[in-house]
Amino acid sequence: MSQDKIIVHIDRDLEDLIPVFMENRRKDVENLKSAVIASDYNTLRSIGHNLKGVGGGYGFAWITDLGADIEAAAKVNDIKTITELIDSYADYLGRVEVVYQ
Amino acid sequence: MDSMAETQTYRNYRVLIVDDDNDVLSLLSAWLTQAGFEVVTAKSGEDAIAKIAGTNPKLVITDLYMDGMSGMQLLSEIHKNNPLFPVIMLSGQAQIPDAIKATHLGCSAFLTKPVERDDLVNQVKHVLRLTRDTESDDSFAKNIVYRSKQMADLLESARAVADSNVTVYISGATGTGKEIIAKAIHEASSRRDHSFIAVNCGAIPEQLLESELFGHEKGAFTGANTRHEGLFQAANGGTLFLDEIGDMPLSLQVKLLRVLQDLEVRPVGSVKTFPVNVRIISATHKDLDKAVKAGEFRVDLFYRLKVVPLHMPALAERCDDIPVLAEHFLEKYAKQNNKKKKHFAPDAMDYLISSSWPGNIRQLINVIDLCATLCKTNTISLSLVKTALQDEPREIQTLKQTKDACEKNYLMSVLRITSGHVANAAHIAGRNRTEFYKLLGQHNLDPAQFRFKKES
Repeated sequence: MSQDKIIVHIDRDLEDLIPVFMENRRKDVENLKSAVIASDYNTLRSIGHNLKGVGGGYGFAWITDLGADIEAAAKVNDIKTITELIDSYADYLGRVEVVYQ
Repeated sequence: MDSMAETQTYRNYRVLIVDDDNDVLSLLSAWLTQAGFEVVTAKSGEDAIAKIAGTNPKLVITDLYMDGMSGMQLLSEIHKNNPLFPVIMLSGQAQIPDAIKATHLGCSAFLTKPVERDDLVNQVKHVLRLTRDTESDDSFAKNIVYRSKQMADLLESARAVADSNVTVYISGATGTGKEIIAKAIHEASSRRDHSFIAVNCGAIPEQLLESELFGHEKGAFTGANTRHEGLFQAANGGTLFLDEIGDMPLSLQVKLLRVLQDLEVRPVGSVKTFPVNVRIISATHKDLDKAVKAGEFRVDLFYRLKVVPLHMPALAERCDDIPVLAEHFLEKYAKQNNKKKKHFAPDAMDYLISSSWPGNIRQLINVIDLCATLCKTNTISLSLVKTALQDEPREIQTLKQTKDACEKNYLMSVLRITSGHVANAAHIAGRNRTEFYKLLGQHNLDPAQFRFKKES
């Protein structure tokens, strides 16, 4: 995986909300991994659905797209794709850097 | 982006956001707070029900799919008490059947997640009627401040008849704004480039009213030193608004009827007649049906005037409009007096909304002007509003009265939609026919009236 930073420009009005948002996203990775181990597709679909609904609003369009992909994969019990997506998600969160504007 | 002045305008609009996702709640709350609204949040449908009772929001925004009570169930619960309460539904999985069902249940708007900030804010303003509805012909009502369904229905009817010569009759209590509607009809008609003349038939002594309306020749009576053409001729090509027509003496009613039949006037003291081309709009606070039965108003004139009847609701019947009217008159006061615009505290606004307003809009203007004058800060307090209203007999509606009014409005809506077909109306209302007839009886509603209106 690349070590390059992923710069995301976020509305300065949301600055106070971003720390909690990012913390919740890190928790998502753990919850997704636990759900994979338990083959809990309902939880995987639910997390994907929530990410799809909220990512773009905060300025993280990539998270919305990821959420949609996880939701779609969970609907067809595609554990392989989900695992790859979780890895991408963890990588993204490790490299993302917020710039307020 | 709204200016600061516009942002402050929404402070009295409390919005409840319901979602079981904290990130969504935080985000939407931040957006709407920044847009100037007061925001309350709830994490479930059950919590929302409690918050609605405790905080009295003007609008609920709810997620569709939540654990426990769903958004759809919440919508149904809210509309049991108030079928017109605005609810915006959000869903991350937009299915057309969901949107249709939500709309059928009375949802004001259906938005798909991820929702855009501007879309949400604009939809909130639209639902709360804080912006112009660009889909409707708003030029008709551009000077009329409202957001209630009653006024929307009235203006729709008024607009429909505006561009014709049909005689319009406006009933309604004193101070409700009947002249404003008459003017709007004139402005939307092909007569807009000619005069709109208003005359209060109850304010002019009988002896002068005939001369005022039909004119007089020089020397026709003591004091008639010059010829006067009269308002019918002055309004030629335009509109004549006969306010308080119910106060017109019987002797003049005869003459008015002749003018309306022959389309010509004969001034007092003249042997000549003059043709007139005038559109008549009349208005009264009186019950003219009763006046006709009592022999105080001519039945033939009554039917000649009441071709298209419109009814202006009392201010207490359109209490949804009070916040926007209050803001409008505060703005007007500030401009006229070259002062900074003030605002009502939320509890003061609630007090305004729940008052009975026997003097209607005229009384509201007086109270607002008094509050704006006496208030030493930017926020008008509840105590000041109470002081301003203290000379007026004040009746706050009880919860039962409010519920009864909402129930009646709902019954009338379903009867209108179904053209008075009781079986269909009962079905929509979710009641059997026996229960539905019982409800109609409690509110003195006759389904036949709705069949008649539809057919006419």
